[in-house]
Amino acid sequence: MPPRIRCLTARGLGSAVNTLRIPSRSAALLVSSTSTASSTPRHYATAVAAKSGLTLPVDYVPPTKPPTARPSDVRKSQLLRTYTSLLRSTPLMLIFQHNNLTAIEWAAVRRELRVALANVPLRGTEPIDFSSNISLQVIRTRIFDVALKVVEFFDPLKVRPTMARTITGSRAPVTYNHDLSKSAYEAVKEATKGDSAQLASTPYGQLAPLLVGPIAILTFPTVSPAHLAAAMSILAPSPPAFPAPSRKKNPNYYEPVAQSGLQKLLLIGGRIEGKVFDLDGVKWVGGIEHGLEGLHAQLVGMLQSAGLGLTTTLEGASKSLWLTMESRRSVMEEAEKGPEPAPEAAAEVEKKES
Amino acid sequence: MITHFITNVSTRFNPFSAGAKSARLFLTSLPPSARANGMSIVTELLPRTSTAASTLHIKFKDGKQLNLDCENLGIKSIVEEVDRHSRALQKQADIDG
Repeated sequence: MPPRIRCLTARGLGSAVNTLRIPSRSAALLVSSTSTASSTPRHYATAVAAKSGLTLPVDYVPPTKPPTARPSDVRKSQLLRTYTSLLRSTPLMLIFQHNNLTAIEWAAVRRELRVALANVPLRGTEPIDFSSNISLQVIRTRIFDVALKVVEFFDPLKVRPTMARTITGSRAPVTYNHDLSKSAYEAVKEATKGDSAQLASTPYGQLAPLLVGPIAILTFPTVSPAHLAAAMSILAPSPPAFPAPSRKKNPNYYEPVAQSGLQKLLLIGGRIEGKVFDLDGVKWVGGIEHGLEGLHAQLVGMLQSAGLGLTTTLEGASKSLWLTMESRRSVMEEAEKGPEPAPEAAAEVEKKES
Repeated sequence: MITHFITNVSTRFNPFSAGAKSARLFLTSLPPSARANGMSIVTELLPRTSTAASTLHIKFKDGKQLNLDCENLGIKSIVEEVDRHSRALQKQADIDG
């Protein structure tokens, strides 16, 4: 039986990247040794592979799996990528502390949230129903912390290309700027090694004290104050702005499992469009009427009225002069009937003009 | 942590301050069935700009009250303090049968 060639599967590639390198020469020797044995009539898959010359050097770096600073095939690396993607694509995120909710309680809480969000009226000319994309998910706090640092302090556009070996053995410039790359790791290290006061002023620094203990986040694909208000009235009700649903309209909200689950959730803050808000800030965003379009309309109206005020003030002086002249003219026209008061009126007008 | 003998937990903290860590971790160490077994847990969140210290107030079944300052005590020390009294109550309960 011909000796088995070590075929590099996906798992094997990971170990090839991370473990000590066997020089490519020994891989070439392996090829030569097996080619002599491949003259046997039996054709196994391994022998066929040897015959066709399909051997990869052990230090081959596949283009779909670039080199990483940490092992990339472990769950926490993939969670890190998930969280960085989430942070870059989610404009509205509420942060909750969850204290030992059971699975049944989570199911009840998510059910109530889904029902409330489905009842939010949609806005706009072509409304898109994104309430199914709003999710309350438990996250790994430490990995989320690292993901926040990567999103904040790593700029993929600033990474310089490195020379990497291609399949043919030549070297080509390649830019490794993914979130698990060495450049990302070094950028984060550089940014966090400085003084803590400077770090505390960054959005990461403001959010960092919140990331303690078990955390769950409620993510919205877009900043919609109406949906936020509905979610707040379920998860963190605070009358009068966000009243909990009434017992008659929503009796399931008041069942013991749902209530005990909701009591264990604590809204501690929010990240809206990259900025950090506390509970009062989140309430303010939820209280914006008519959504973001309403806010834009308010701003436009305010700007227009401000311009109008300025114009009125500037024109006021000339307007009053014109009015005075007009009144004098009407008086003079009346006085033409009688010639005597006319010269007096002319004298008065001259006095006013001077 | 022995939580069987605690009847009331009342805490207030500013989540944006570093001193809130112990108070928040204490809340997470309470069992899921705490409220079902009669424990009352009250949390008050202070605004972001508040500089008030985070406090933890615990009442036990025998009436003893503990006021713990969470700014200086870590979670381990807090749990130690609470457990000390709870263990005494546990011993008493074992003797009484």
